[in-house]
Amino acid sequence: MKVLVKCFSQVKYAVGTSELVLDLNPGSTTADLEAVIREKGAGELEGVTLRTAVNKHYVSESVPLEDGDEVAFIPPVQGG
Amino acid sequence: MIMTEIVPSQIVPFPADDSRHNDGSEIVFNGRVRSTEHGEPILALEYEHYEGMAETELNGLAEKTVSKFSIHDLFCRHRVGQIGVGEISLHVVIWSKHRKEGLSAMTWFIAELKKHIPIWKWALLTTGERVPSECVNSEH
Repeated sequence: MKVLVKCFSQVKYAVGTSELVLDLNPGSTTADLEAVIREKGAGELEGVTLRTAVNKHYVSESVPLEDGDEVAFIPPVQGG
Repeated sequence: MIMTEIVPSQIVPFPADDSRHNDGSEIVFNGRVRSTEHGEPILALEYEHYEGMAETELNGLAEKTVSKFSIHDLFCRHRVGQIGVGEISLHVVIWSKHRKEGLSAMTWFIAELKKHIPIWKWALLTTGERVPSECVNSEH
């Protein structure tokens, strides 16, 4: 299944792109995907707390992903 | 009533409203871009947001604030993109019967905004360098 990952701020800097499409095994979860993104960050995301959003809504724990989901790993926000 | 917007250009403040005969308090907050980051002079801050999610979260936060505090209306505009030193990045107006609940609501709303709304900023230094802003979940 394919998911779209949107990248912002430190995550965008770490993975070098603002979005990417990843092909995941069926049954993959947001935790699995976060591990992939952290690996792509090659250490740049070490120690950075990331919240997860699926289809533009925060999720408080790891959830299974579905084909076509849009996922973002939200680094500490800085509005204001 | 609430009204929230994320805008890409200079913020136009909400107009004062002399027809509000039951609101003794009209509190206006303007957050402006300071001239230094990391002790270095800057030209501007560059804000990015998660389009679609930031708008929804901001609107939800405004609704929650109006429910939590005894206030009547909350209007908010947050600017994104490049914002020069001294310019307004955040504009909030809260109307309430008395000032106390309005001030509490304003403090809580801005604190929650800084914790949850998916907006980030980079500092553009006068040297031309672009660095992450030093502000994270600040209470300032």
